[in-house]
Amino acid sequence: MVIIDWLRVNWLYIAVPVLVFLGVFFISLWLRRLTYNAIERWLKERKTEINTIIVSVTRRPFLHWLLILGAYIGLRVSVLSPQWKSLGGKILASIFVAYLGWILVRLSKELIHLYLNRAKASDRAVAITMSIVQVTVTVVGILILLELWGAPLTPVLIALAAALAVAVIVLHDVFPSLFSGLQLAQQKQIKVGDSIRLESGEEGRVEEITWRNTQITTLDGSIIIIPNSKLMQTTIISDGKQPKMAKQPFQFSTRLHLKELTGLSASNLSQLSSRLQQVPDAVVYYHTHSFVEEYQFLTPEPTNDFALWVQDALGYDILAERLASIDTFEFSAIEALRQRIIGVIQDFLAQTSNEREAPPGNEFHFIKSISVVLPTSYIAHNLAEFVGILRRVSIGSLFFHIFEAKLRLQRGTNDFSLWLEDCLGEKELAEQITRLDPYNYTMENLRETIIHLCEKKL
Amino acid sequence: MNPKINVKDYESIVGKSYIEELTMLANRLSGKTILNINSTFVGGGVVEILSRLVPLLNQLGVDVRWQIISGDAQFFKVTKKLHNALHGKVEPISDDEFSLFLETTEKNLNQIDFSGDIMFIHDPQPAALIAKKNDIGKKWIWRCHIDISQPDSRVWEFLKQFVINYDATVFSSPNFAQELPIRQFFAPPSIDPLSDKNKELPAEAVNAVLAKYGLNQDKPLILQVSRFDRLKDPLGVIKAFELVRKNFACQLVLAGGTASDDPESEEVLAEVKERAGGNPDIHILDIAPGSDIDINALQRAATIIMQKSLGEGFALTITEALWKAKPVVASAVGGIPLQVRNKLTGLLCHSIEGAAYALRQILANPDYGRWLGHNGNEHIRQHFLITREIRDYLLIFLTLARREDVISL
Repeated sequence: MVIIDWLRVNWLYIAVPVLVFLGVFFISLWLRRLTYNAIERWLKERKTEINTIIVSVTRRPFLHWLLILGAYIGLRVSVLSPQWKSLGGKILASIFVAYLGWILVRLSKELIHLYLNRAKASDRAVAITMSIVQVTVTVVGILILLELWGAPLTPVLIALAAALAVAVIVLHDVFPSLFSGLQLAQQKQIKVGDSIRLESGEEGRVEEITWRNTQITTLDGSIIIIPNSKLMQTTIISDGKQPKMAKQPFQFSTRLHLKELTGLSASNLSQLSSRLQQVPDAVVYYHTHSFVEEYQFLTPEPTNDFALWVQDALGYDILAERLASIDTFEFSAIEALRQRIIGVIQDFLAQTSNEREAPPGNEFHFIKSISVVLPTSYIAHNLAEFVGILRRVSIGSLFFHIFEAKLRLQRGTNDFSLWLEDCLGEKELAEQITRLDPYNYTMENLRETIIHLCEKKL
Repeated sequence: MNPKINVKDYESIVGKSYIEELTMLANRLSGKTILNINSTFVGGGVVEILSRLVPLLNQLGVDVRWQIISGDAQFFKVTKKLHNALHGKVEPISDDEFSLFLETTEKNLNQIDFSGDIMFIHDPQPAALIAKKNDIGKKWIWRCHIDISQPDSRVWEFLKQFVINYDATVFSSPNFAQELPIRQFFAPPSIDPLSDKNKELPAEAVNAVLAKYGLNQDKPLILQVSRFDRLKDPLGVIKAFELVRKNFACQLVLAGGTASDDPESEEVLAEVKERAGGNPDIHILDIAPGSDIDINALQRAATIIMQKSLGEGFALTITEALWKAKPVVASAVGGIPLQVRNKLTGLLCHSIEGAAYALRQILANPDYGRWLGHNGNEHIRQHFLITREIRDYLLIFLTLARREDVISL
């Protein structure tokens, strides 16, 4: 009865705060609805995962925060004593701070999962990051609450600074890579599958980007793992395009050269011609390529040993010129080349009455070329890798794929053209390389010319 | 041996891919043992090569060993005669001397530990050790470092009875090939660009050596480095120099050394000194074995380097000269034409007058000399460094049993 009597007299003291609470609540609810509807419309047009997460996580708590806001304003307009108002305000503010902290933790959990999964972070990395965020939010929340309730902060701040210093020491190498990993994932400067070249000269294909490291398979097949922090500090050369992958990769081989002496020699043209008829193809190959190979660094002079010998030892300048002018590039089989050389010598002999003899010690010695072919670790999966490897392989590798593939292994053309056409569909480029006459280049010029042609296609 | 030698140090000279190829070959020889046998650990080109070859191959993972045959002074006098006769010089060699050679070989057959899979025998002195093949089998390769293009037939027939029992031979020049029923490989010898004799030297070190031997730093210097041996024709060099000196102010240095298996060199040195007489521009330097820095400095100080030999194995002194980018004037004998392509990497001559003519061309045209020297340096880098010789031997060891022309390993 006492309460009812009190209400009859003082109903206005209750009704005003309640009405203010309800008024604030409903107006805020209406504003929230307008705001969130606008945000959702905006999200429909540009759907980003981050914003969707923010909306879904905060939508319901926002309602609760409005309730707290309404209660706080209702409390402020009530006729309660200042002490009660202050106490009620602190309680409401504490609930709000705790609730906001909890929502921030939830929100960061969702965002961390999103980002670190993109960066292929390990479960351990996710757990560490989560813990860091939770601790940070909790600590900040507690500090705000302590401030709110007027508790002393200095000892807490000292303890926190110490804990922070320890954490920085323990995790000093983790953070740079982690944030660099996040940056890489966010900026998408490099992607898995990209062919890149680093400032340090390393070159290869990006195999994996994790939260701490990026793994690159170099052109020689070895794997290098670079911390993301270092990767972000270096210059990366990448065209950013996903290269066209070959149906089958090109495995570079190298060819080493052994010279076997046949014990056969010639001291005049007749002997040279008849011996040339008998010797194996490997001997003809040797004497038509040895000068090119030996002086490839110095002169693009596509002469052969027969021409040099008839000039130096026999003094037949005209025949030497005719032999030197035989275009080895025309031939795709050694037998045909052999017959052309013999034909030129025979034609000359038919017009010569007195054959000259080479001075003692200047006989022509028939040498056989033995090629030893080894697979290298260089494998090209696309044109960019092919160019990168071409810059590095030995001269022996170029000789094998260009000269020996065509003439000795009778593949019709060089290996590079075959692969470019058959496995990469680069018919025009293949034809351009096929048309190059390698005998008229020094090997380094030939290498550069092929690289230049390929680069125009990149 | 060379404990400091490191195969990685050669990368900057021949390129990374070259060393990678060597490693690939060496890996394929894993588990095999190669035993080198020659006649001395001191002096001469063979020792220079083996003292690098063995540690470098060991570093590449190949088990390579080195042993020498033993013999008294009389034995080495006989082997020197055999050496000269194989070079084409007429040498009276008695039956007793052939017997002494065989008896010493017999003693060595009982003393040497022939553990290994491939026996790599160097030069004629230990060639008769092939007799052991009947007992132990294995693969045997005879490496002939000397010029046997025109051997004394009696001596060659004596040696050939042993050589034909080998599985293969290796010669330094195509000219040295013989009619043999076994395989003959061609592998020119090489130099080590990092040895004391070939490494880069500061100008102060070069000048110090010139001062040490009383040489004029301002006068063009013509140099021949070789043992005091008649086959190197030191008297011919002096004559050529005298022809040139009529028109060009220059000085000649004949720098030589001796090897433990060369008892004749003292005699030749005395003859050369007598021929030089009191000419102040001719310097005869008797350089002790091991003075490699001195030789290196002299070569780097030289304006032109000569090798006017009458006969040569390969002439590593020419390789050293070309490596130092020096213009060379050399006789077209033995392995010299393999290194000196006339007018491209140096100048070849066939006579004393021809040598003088070539010297004058370079003295009068220093730019031409520099161009020849540059070409020569690159030619050596590509074909005559120790890395290439190692590669050749690895290839021979690996393909000895294969007969194809194109071999996939």
